Amino acid sequence: MTTVLAPVAGAAVGLRAVPDPVFSEGLVGPGAAIEPAREPGEAVSPITGKIVKLHPHAFVVVGDDGRGVLVHLGIDTVQLKGAGFELLVSEGDRVSAGQPVVVWNPLEIEAGGRSPVCPVVALDAAEGSVTTLAQGAVRAGDDLFLWA
Amino acid sequence: MAERQVTVEAEVGLHARPAATFVQTATKAPLDVTVAKGGGQPVNAKSILAVLSLDVRQGDTVVIKAEGEGADEILDQLALIASAP
Repeated sequence: MTTVLAPVAGAAVGLRAVPDPVFSEGLVGPGAAIEPAREPGEAVSPITGKIVKLHPHAFVVVGDDGRGVLVHLGIDTVQLKGAGFELLVSEGDRVSAGQPVVVWNPLEIEAGGRSPVCPVVALDAAEGSVTTLAQGAVRAGDDLFLWA
Repeated sequence: MAERQVTVEAEVGLHARPAATFVQTATKAPLDVTVAKGGGQPVNAKSILAVLSLDVRQGDTVVIKAEGEGADEILDQLALIASAP
């Protein structure tokens, strides 16, 4: 059982609200998404574990049980090539749930014509194994969903 | 053991959309499928976590392997996805 935290502050919405079929159709996996508050902020780790993949716009944390969670900061943000993101940890680092990982600014992402919505995905999770714990307003570090 | 070696052409590498499509397709196959970057350690092609962790970038070569009935068909599909621009 894994409790996955909200990586950013904003409004918790379903993955279906993400304007990218890869996420909204659940191709990457089940989870939730956050429509982030339109202010500069930090994205925190959704679980305790190791940062196995760290891109400026996305990261994957794997817990001691081998479960991986993907946090994607905005849609099509790979195209920004890191501009507007400041990394606070390194790939391979151990992080605690709630520990800041990336500084970013959803306002800038939106000003560039992209959606700043943040999909949070349970990787390789079985269908139906995720239960939503939050809807609407969340702070970074609040419970987002439960991964059975 | 059948295999295909392809160069990843997508600008994002084997991430996001290409990775998800690749894993979804591999998962449908009733046989073991692995993928390796260059001459590296093969990982389970049915695991999105494993494939994302491989960190395959544009221009990297991947080796996809499968064994059993239907291996060639699934490898052809996967090779097409991995090499799509």
